[in-house]
Amino acid sequence: MAHPLNTSLPQRPLRVAAGTGLAIAIAALIALVLWAILDAATGATGRPSRIDIPHLLRMTSIQAGLTTVISLAVGMALAWALNRLRFPGRDLIVGLFASAIVTPGMVVAFGMLSIWGRNGWINQTSEALFGVSIGNPAFGLSGILFAHVILDGAFAARIMLARLDAIPQPRLKTGQSLDLTAWQRFSIIDWPALRGTVPGLAAIIFLLAFTSFPIVLLLGGGPANQTLEVAIYAAVRQDFDLVGAVRLALTQIAVCALVISAASALAPIPTSLGPSIAPKWSDRLGASIVQWIVLVLCTIGFVLPLASVLFDGLLNGLGRVLSQPAFWWATLSSLLIGSASALLTLVFALLLAMGRGATANGVARTMLGIPAYAYLAVPAVVLSLGFFLLVRDAGVSTSIAAPFVVVVANSLLALPFAMATLGPPLEAIARTRGKLIRSLGISGWRQFSLIEYPLLGKDIGVMLALAFCFSLGDLGVIALFGTQDFQTLPLMMFRALGAYRTNDAAAIAALLLIGTIVVFVGLPRLIERIAHAVR
Amino acid sequence: MLSVERLTYAHPGQTGSYEFSLTAAPGEITAISGASGSGKSTLLDLIAGFLKPVAGSLTLDGTNLLPLPPEQRPVSLLLQSESLFEHLTATRNVALGLPPETRKPEVSQRVASALAEVGLHTVGDQTASTLSGGQKQRVALARTLLRDRPILLLDEPFSALDDETRGTIRELVRTLTIQHGWHTLLVTHHADDVEALASRRYRLADGRLVEG
Repeated sequence: MAHPLNTSLPQRPLRVAAGTGLAIAIAALIALVLWAILDAATGATGRPSRIDIPHLLRMTSIQAGLTTVISLAVGMALAWALNRLRFPGRDLIVGLFASAIVTPGMVVAFGMLSIWGRNGWINQTSEALFGVSIGNPAFGLSGILFAHVILDGAFAARIMLARLDAIPQPRLKTGQSLDLTAWQRFSIIDWPALRGTVPGLAAIIFLLAFTSFPIVLLLGGGPANQTLEVAIYAAVRQDFDLVGAVRLALTQIAVCALVISAASALAPIPTSLGPSIAPKWSDRLGASIVQWIVLVLCTIGFVLPLASVLFDGLLNGLGRVLSQPAFWWATLSSLLIGSASALLTLVFALLLAMGRGATANGVARTMLGIPAYAYLAVPAVVLSLGFFLLVRDAGVSTSIAAPFVVVVANSLLALPFAMATLGPPLEAIARTRGKLIRSLGISGWRQFSLIEYPLLGKDIGVMLALAFCFSLGDLGVIALFGTQDFQTLPLMMFRALGAYRTNDAAAIAALLLIGTIVVFVGLPRLIERIAHAVR
Repeated sequence: MLSVERLTYAHPGQTGSYEFSLTAAPGEITAISGASGSGKSTLLDLIAGFLKPVAGSLTLDGTNLLPLPPEQRPVSLLLQSESLFEHLTATRNVALGLPPETRKPEVSQRVASALAEVGLHTVGDQTASTLSGGQKQRVALARTLLRDRPILLLDEPFSALDDETRGTIRELVRTLTIQHGWHTLLVTHHADDVEALASRRYRLADGRLVEG
């Protein structure tokens, strides 16, 4: 007689096998990339590298640490304010902050320059009114921190707001009947709900800031504020110092692996969030005033750089950019790469998440979860460097390999977010509907098309939008593989900035921002409508 | 005759085990009552195949059911909730009771007939999420009709219903069980369900079934 075994999960060996096969293939690919980097490090000869790794490590850690602390503080304050206040347009504001996760770093960095740069709005106004220049705060550590906090603080706020919105109504009613003060309410009701998110969010924000590429590239203002990622790029592209690049990459992998091994024990952060509903219990007047101040300041801080990008881009350089054939080729490349990356990410994430949902075996589930960490352990520029070395060693022309490498690399980069989006709902279907599905004998394509696809509709849309937007705004992968004939919109924007064609860069940034927001808002709704047609 | 003999199960990591023995006749409703956590749902999971016993036998008219996976067992399920896929229409939910290769005209005709038999003529195009609790249970019963499996397992199916609907659905279950000769096992902790429906009664205590 068999041993006791929980078989209420639909047993789908084919799904487990497909997921495991893919996990092994991804692991092999990452191993190959790492091997290429290690091989280059050990086999390389030539002039010794002059890169000061301890200095870079120290500066990157300080920058990432400060970003994490400030982003969490800003995010918590903003979530607190949004949770309490009710006003017309609140949904729009909440949606705006939610879009931070996909807003390209390059666009924010450009917005920072446009507001706080030497020729930015603030300086121009200050000089016109008072005859005084405030200098160039957009460059250096202050600019990097500000840009990071705009993105990561808004991301943290949206995650924390979801936690606050999920506080059970009976708990709020009890608190309201006890007439808790704003501080009592925060410490007794809010904080216990929030504190579970803090370690996981801190780890993610630290990694995002530690591996930040476009913001530091644009706002770094020199070697003093470089991150390891930017230093790798500079070593390969500008100094041709492959030995130094490989050492930097290995340092980066070691630090990221350390943070991930700590973070992997923490609860995952969801990326697919429901609508935010403000509770009916408002705080007292004094606290409400503070909440309004927080909300207004944060909204200005987030919206102003993006608004200035749109303003500058659409008014100044749009006509010139649209008349360039190179722009249309770059747009086509971006759209094709974004679409291919999003679809590939969907296939990867579905195979892995379905495999996990179809087995109760702990080892298999762990194996199927590992690829989600690939990007975090081996960030964009490092991955790109590894692919670059592999392609070079294989004797393949980078121009031929570039589109494929960029698509695969972008898919791997989006995979952790895709898994975080699709994994929980797929597992919930297996958990709550597993018995019914199994007892009715529904399996294979019928199970996916009738049950999973319609139930996952919006999540699939969110995942496709995330993957597409990540790819659309990526500079880290394309930076090493781009050529004069093969460029995406972010690379074209970067080159325009490098050539002091600021108006061109502004127009491209504006179009990237519009494209990102349209896809991020529209795609999930479109896919949900298509999925719900299956009834 | 459905026969459960010394069907034994122990939840992993827990001390103590369950040992179930019962018989259920066709056209009869066998009620199983007991306190929360006494093992009522465990018994149904064992019969449906979601849990594997460590010992004992489970037969229907002499056929051993234990080697069969859940989808191949001659069993239909009706749960307190989650019996339907809420995003699908009532018609699509009922049609899941038919083999996938069934031709469309036959599906339409048989689904309509099953819905009529449970007293639902007009809700076919509504998604399950828009139906009332009683309507949902009727739709699930209509699907059970199409599956035509001789064992019907009911796990607290009336708990979420108001008194009036509860009486109607109970009567429907009784009628269908008699008409189709099902071996219906009803798990409940409501004494009035047992009073109203049961031909045979078991009580679960200390991991064992006691008749009467």
